[in-house]
Amino acid sequence: MKEITKIAKREYHRMKNNPIYWFSIIFAPLLCVVFFTTIMWQGLPTNLPIGLVDQDNTTTTRKIARNLDAFQQTAIIQNYPDVSSARRAVQRGDIYAFYYIPKGTTAKANAQKIPTISFYTNYAYLVAGSLVMRDMRMMSELASASAGRSVLYARGATEQQALAFLQPIVVDSHAINNPWLNYNIYLSNTIVPGILGIFLFMMTVYSIGTEIKEGTAHDWILKARGNMHVALIGKLLPNTLLFLLVGWTIVFYFYGYMHFPCNSGITDMLILMTLFILSCEALGILMITILPTLRLGLSFASLWGVLSLSICGMSFPVMAMHPALQGLSWLFPLRHYFILYVNCALDGYNLTNAWLYLVALAGFILLAIITTPILKRELLTVKYVP
Amino acid sequence: MSILKNGRQALDDWNYIFKAELKKVFQDKGVLIFFILVPLAYPLLYAFIYNNEVIREVPTAVVDYDNTALSRQYIRNVDATPDVHIVAHCTSMAEAEQLIKNREVYGIVRIPSDFTRNINTMQQAHVGVYADMSGLLYYKALLLANTNVSLAMNADIKVQRKPSTTVEQDKVTQMPIRYEQVDLYNPQTGFAAFLIPAVLILVLQQTLVLGVGLSAGTDNESNRYRELQPINSHFNGMLRIVFGKGFAYLLVYLWNIAFVLEVVPRIFCLPQIGNPLDLWLIAIPFLLAIIFMAMTVTFLIRQRETGFMLIVFASVPLLFLSGVSWPGVSIPTFWKYVSYLFPSTFGVNAYIKINSLGAEMGDVKPEWHALWIQTFFYFTTTCIIYTLNIRRSRRRFIEMYRERKERKRK
Repeated sequence: MKEITKIAKREYHRMKNNPIYWFSIIFAPLLCVVFFTTIMWQGLPTNLPIGLVDQDNTTTTRKIARNLDAFQQTAIIQNYPDVSSARRAVQRGDIYAFYYIPKGTTAKANAQKIPTISFYTNYAYLVAGSLVMRDMRMMSELASASAGRSVLYARGATEQQALAFLQPIVVDSHAINNPWLNYNIYLSNTIVPGILGIFLFMMTVYSIGTEIKEGTAHDWILKARGNMHVALIGKLLPNTLLFLLVGWTIVFYFYGYMHFPCNSGITDMLILMTLFILSCEALGILMITILPTLRLGLSFASLWGVLSLSICGMSFPVMAMHPALQGLSWLFPLRHYFILYVNCALDGYNLTNAWLYLVALAGFILLAIITTPILKRELLTVKYVP
Repeated sequence: MSILKNGRQALDDWNYIFKAELKKVFQDKGVLIFFILVPLAYPLLYAFIYNNEVIREVPTAVVDYDNTALSRQYIRNVDATPDVHIVAHCTSMAEAEQLIKNREVYGIVRIPSDFTRNINTMQQAHVGVYADMSGLLYYKALLLANTNVSLAMNADIKVQRKPSTTVEQDKVTQMPIRYEQVDLYNPQTGFAAFLIPAVLILVLQQTLVLGVGLSAGTDNESNRYRELQPINSHFNGMLRIVFGKGFAYLLVYLWNIAFVLEVVPRIFCLPQIGNPLDLWLIAIPFLLAIIFMAMTVTFLIRQRETGFMLIVFASVPLLFLSGVSWPGVSIPTFWKYVSYLFPSTFGVNAYIKINSLGAEMGDVKPEWHALWIQTFFYFTTTCIIYTLNIRRSRRRFIEMYRERKERKRK
């Protein structure tokens, strides 16, 4: 115990005057929290610009355009005389899509000749494209329905009868626990811990690696009387306490202040965050054990950390990836954090419901404990090569 | 005469610094990782991750309280879509929820008991679709499949209800106004074709900045006086140093550009409809802007390792700032201005426009201008920083010289 405090104090002195620690542990993660929650404060983008090519230009088509403009996600910002000038506007990035009503649409509809209207969506911007496509498709359905409805009204049908005739089956969609399709909830909840994970990997590698680089590893282990576990606990203690402080701040900010869904209660998320921080640090220890050079260890840490965000399955589901990658995803703590977060905060089940992923997170810590003798040998033998 | 001589000397120095920097790049394992290995391997890895483009066959449970021919037909049609796979037929919602809880299914389709009766009595029938929101793609797939199936069945039901004499009339009943949906520039509406172009550009920028940062960090640590350049007769004159180093990085990255922007999209069959010449016209100011930005930032990097902490995490926010994963028009004004500081913002958009949308040079003029402005701006800041640095080291050198002289006198 005495040794642990001694080493922790020693570590604190090393950290005190090195801005890298303060930047990486406190400043940058909190900056990212603010960045992601403010950049997506809308939750769901609104008024995405689209264009209109209305070559028919009758009261009916103008009404369609007005209604489309009134949709929440879509805003018609410009009328184009023809399709190719609208296409160029898409290529310039002015609009995400355009809605095309050819000449004679109204006349054909009135004469029951089935006119065709079309909409062109730029899917190179997938998020914006999907959102405006949804609105344009809905509008087209409504336009078609309204043409049929006027005929039905003329025959004396009530509104309900008309609706039942035009749309016999209605799909009611229920987005479980995120009914607003809020992107802030969907993305920030995993990206921010992901970035915290990058720093956890890097700072653990850095604080151990500098001992090798500066040739102070002997002194460090001597202070622990040769007990590697004591040495590691003491060394990582100040680091970990600060990271825990930041991690809990994030949890309170998300679920207390931003009111992101937290159906399991905040305690479970605090426990999860704690476990995530510890297992990331454990993986950091394993990284420097595998590559006991500061720069290689840091390269490893940064590449692994950035990769976490893709392979955790937050944006693109793991089940759609190549089987080899599905296996690889088990080696990323963020993957387990993501599943446990969905299980607890989003869906409101107990932590133990997804016990397998808890075990996986604990596995990193266990592995780091087992491999300490290797790290010790490396610390005492490897020389820094500039 | 002296101008000529000076000029030759300058070229000579430039050449020396250029070669020295190149040599350093190829001797330093750390720099090499980020200059060669990562630009080579990372794009391949990312393309591999997203290569399936879309999610197919989302495992889904069905709760059919109606259990009639019509409801079974609905379920069969949903199962037949490529997006959804019905893996379980449950007798109650509670049972289906249990499957969600165990993460065996990612969605539930609920058909109420009055489904067929409502349709037969000319009332609207409602089908409930419940999607797990851990990923928006599950929701998208479920909703799309169900909407398509319901629209197709609606059209048939309408015809059955209103028997008419001709096929032509049936068509009018089905759909008085038809619509056509055209998906531009990403025909599969896939994830790779959307995200990979932005990732490629970001990989180029981040590795280049990291490599330059590492190299500068080494200089800082190995020079006796912790300065950016050694004291050496060749390292005279700021422009020679800036250009000498800058061109060394440019040379290395021209190869990376060729590989990352031309070869990788081809390997993974990503949309690539742009004019290659236009790509290079954008690539040059993009690289120059990054190089000078990197050389400016290096004054912050006193230790080799600082670069990692400053640069690596920024990749994710930069992706968002470029306006790809989050629509550019929805970015708050403050962050919009912040995004103008980084070449990636304009590089990503120009590359997507040319490569994925087939835009011409005239369409990417704003980005092209912005990249040149950045180049010029960061070139100026680099020059200022190097001038200050040279002055400082010279002053120190003179001081030392004096000290030594005095010591000798004593």
